[in-house]
Order: sequence, then structure tokens, then C-alpha cells
Amino acid sequence: MMDFARVQKELHDCNKGVDESGISIKPKGEDGNFTLLLGTLPGPIGTPYEGGVFNIDIILPEGYPFEPPKMKFATKVWHPNISSQSGAICLDILKDQWSPALTLKTALLSVQALLSTPEPDDPQDAVVAQQYLRDYPTFEGTARYWTSAFARPSSLGIEDKVQKLVEMGFPEGAVRSTLEAVGGDENMALEKLCSG
Amino acid sequence: MDAAFLSFSTLLHLVFKRNLTLIICFISVSFRVLCKFFAHGACLKGENCEFSHDWNAPPNNICTFYQKGNCAYGSRCRYDHVKVSQLLQTPGSGSSATSHPRSVSGSAAVPRSGVYTTDSILGEHFVSMSSPAWSEKPLSHDSIDDGGTRESRSVDPFDRPLCSFAAAGSCPRGENCPHIHGDLCATCGKQCLHPFRLHEREEHRKTCEKKQTHLESLKQSQEIECSVCLERVLAKPTAAERKFGILSECDHPFCVSCIRNWRNSSPASGMDVNSTLRACPICRKLSYFIVPSVIWYFSNKEKEELVDNYKAKLRSIDCKHFDFGNGTCPFGTSCFYKHAYRDGRLEEVVLRHLGGEDGETVIAKEIRLSEFLSNMHLR
Repeated sequence: MMDFARVQKELHDCNKGVDESGISIKPKGEDGNFTLLLGTLPGPIGTPYEGGVFNIDIILPEGYPFEPPKMKFATKVWHPNISSQSGAICLDILKDQWSPALTLKTALLSVQALLSTPEPDDPQDAVVAQQYLRDYPTFEGTARYWTSAFARPSSLGIEDKVQKLVEMGFPEGAVRSTLEAVGGDENMALEKLCSG
Repeated sequence: MDAAFLSFSTLLHLVFKRNLTLIICFISVSFRVLCKFFAHGACLKGENCEFSHDWNAPPNNICTFYQKGNCAYGSRCRYDHVKVSQLLQTPGSGSSATSHPRSVSGSAAVPRSGVYTTDSILGEHFVSMSSPAWSEKPLSHDSIDDGGTRESRSVDPFDRPLCSFAAAGSCPRGENCPHIHGDLCATCGKQCLHPFRLHEREEHRKTCEKKQTHLESLKQSQEIECSVCLERVLAKPTAAERKFGILSECDHPFCVSCIRNWRNSSPASGMDVNSTLRACPICRKLSYFIVPSVIWYFSNKEKEELVDNYKAKLRSIDCKHFDFGNGTCPFGTSCFYKHAYRDGRLEEVVLRHLGGEDGETVIAKEIRLSEFLSNMHLR
């Protein structure tokens, strides 16, 4: 049985300190459903991910906090320990090193720390890791490009995003529903519209 | 004082079948004597009580056991130790109009004592006594003459009991109280230190300080949060949850249910039992056992005490795995529970130490000859 009181408290505490850490967590579903959450964290300064805002899908298992939360990047990111395809994260504290004293916020902080200290020797994405080890400048360039392309914080309002996508040739109804489904992220909406 | 007023109204004869002792109780019923139960705030008879419910009425504080010659409390008795012979001798000094042996000299117009005895009863009763209590420590006669101040002058102050009213807050009798008003205890703020019984004083001070530290740690424990459920441990809804789980090797607080839940997580989820599940969720230090406690500790000494008390308690409980020798306990000699056979004999285990190949000593678990034999190949 999941400890809803704890999750609620965690969300409250995390969103209270959002100005300081830049990390926020919101429930994805309707009120009172805390199994699907969306975390947001800023790319660490001094890394190729600087300036980006990354979304992370969080699924809380039944046994939380005695089981680790399932986290993966919803925003595409070029990193040796994060799958460029699925967004899966290779981080020990999300697997066998989990501890119930960790919270969603501390887990997201660890993910943020992982962005600044890649471990290419224990990769999740072999292609990225190989590039990181053999040709670091190219890796850095790619990571920077992916950040600006997929993780740019959009300053546009929802209407501007709709207009932009409609101008690309998508029907307005589909644009609106897709944007809503991905939480207002225009890049993700574009990807979804293109694939489906 | 007329005879009717002082007449004996109750005579109880109780015969116990076992020891065939005849106990004769004589209770003088007088409206003028303060009701003992009323004095303690617990008289159920109310208006119908045959004793006085007036604070001005004199109390009956005479120890009947002492009068019979054997008060087990001795000098610690909270009732007055007054000789029967004194009661019997006093009529000479009182107003002679009364037929009653006990009367009061001086200003008081009412009898100050509720216990009266007659020669006939006493004569029969006291023959059997070999050594009456008062023969060891004679009291002077005037000690019972005046109710208000009796004892105070002549009785050794060491023998005067503490006034329980003063100890509880305030004594309605004030200065005239026949009992001693204790000194103020600095810890509990009550007048409960006997000025002359140094041993008692010391004892009270010790227990009082112990109580006080317990209360303080309980107060401080209220604020402590469990790092797993992020709630204050002692603010949980059910009593079973309001307990700390103390880890043997580190000092991080959790509720006992949270830490047990974590330690009992299935290792199937990929987490290692020793490096993760049995480690402290905060510092990851490995602890082999947890101790449930309703109070948190604030020093190593307190922690040791809690752990020792817990172990001592478990050691008094029979191990269900050992089952009086019928079963085997997986914890072996490390088990906290009692390993005893039905006849009360404790299990004796002689550990076999074996020198390993690498020079280290290992403890051999049960080795059976059959294991060697089964591996042998006979040609």
C-alpha cells in the first residue's frame, strides 16, 4: 500500500523550494492520483545541458517508499547513462541502492547530478558512451544541440504553440489535444503528431 | 459527654477458618471523629456516614496494629503509634464525668481519638503477646494528651510521618497539623522531603530525578520525525505505531513499523539484503537488529540502557523456534530469546572453532559424520 500522505508531503515540500532548486513535481492525473507524476529539472550549469529544462516521467510503484520510483526522461537527452531512444536512466539509487529515506526530490537531484557527471564506463546508451570516450567534442556538440532542440524552456503561450504547429500543417483539433496530452511541450507534441 | 454518645455501637467478630484466629475489632462510632475516607476524598456514604465530614473534627490516626503489638511498618507507619496503656490511664486527667476511659484534658471539648478499648477485651487479647511494640521505644504519657499538638513535642521528629496533604499541595490544617510538613523538593516542586529521614530524602530525590529525565526525554521525543514516513513518530494515530525503531549501529530515528517494513522488503526487487535492506536508510550503516522503544534517547548511556532492557526482556521469553529443545533455532547462539528445556535446564552450546586455510578462525556449524561418510567412495 502506497503511503499517500508521504507523497503529498513530498510534493508540497519540493514545490515550496522550487525557486531554489528549480526542481518541481506535479501529478499527471486528476486530483488524488499520485501514481503518475511529472518532474521537471533544469540542466546543470557548466554542462552541455545548461539552459535546458528536462521533464521526467515518474511512476510510483505500490510499495513506494520501500521500492524505488520508476523514472525516465520524457525529454530527449544525449547522455551516456540515459537512453537516447527511451529515456531510461541508469542510476544505482533508482535500482538496487534505493533507500526509503530518499525522496522524489533527492532522486531528481541525483538525476541532475548524473547529468553533470556522466559514467561512460557503465553506459545505458552504448552509442553515446562510445562517442563520449572517442570524440568528446562531437559528443558535447550533440548534447548541446539536443538540449537546445528538445529541452528549451518555451516562453510561448499555449495559443502561440497551437498557432506554430497549425502553421506546420497539422489540424488544430489534433494539435490542441496532443499538446494537452504531453503537458504543453511543443517539441513532444510535434514528435507525437509526426509519429501518429 | 454522656455515655450514650460514647457507647460502642459496633462489635465485629471475625473468625478465620484457616488459622482460627479471633480478631476482635472495636470501633467507636462517633460523629465527632473525622472520616478516614472523607479525608482522602473517597467516602461513598456521603451524608449517611457515621463519621464526621467536617474538617474541624479531629482525625483518628491511631495505629491499631501497634496497639495489638505488631505493626509491620514500625517507625515508617503513617498512623500514630500510641500505647493502649496510655489510653487506659488517661481518664484520671480528663473530666471525670465520663464513663469512658479516654477523655481530653485542657481546652478541647471533644474526644480526640476514635479508638477506644476496654480492659476486658484488652486483658484477654494482650495475654498472648510476648513483646508489645511499645516496649521497645517508650513514649511519654503526655504525647497523647492534646490532639492538636500531641506527639509534636515529645516524639522523635524522625518518627513523625510526612503530611500527605502538604505533599500533594496544601494542608488544610496548616500550622496545627500533627504531621510533619516536608521540605520542598526542587525537582517535583512538592513538599515531600522528610526533614529528618535522610535516607528517604535521598531515595525520593533519586526517583524524582529519574522521573523528570524520563518526562523530558519524552517531551523531546515528541518532535522527532521518522525519515521514511516523514511524520512525527509519537504523533501517529495508533499506539502500536507510536514507537521508535532504534538501530543497533547508528543513531537515526525511524518508526518501528517503517524500519521493519524496509528490512522486511523482499530482496527480489534487486536490493541486497546485507548492503541495502539491513543498512540504515540514511547512513547505510549495517545494523543487525532493531530495538522498539516508546522513547528516544539522547545519550549513548540511555541507548545502552534501552537496548539492555529490551534484550533482558526477550531473554525471559522462551524461543518458539527452539521449542524447549524440540526444534532448532536458526539464530543459534545469537538468539535473543531463551533457549531452555522443559525441565528448566538452559541449552549449552560448545562452539567448535576451526582454523581455516587462510589462518582465520571459523566457527564450525553442526558437522555430522554422515556427511563425510556419504562422500566417501568405497572400493
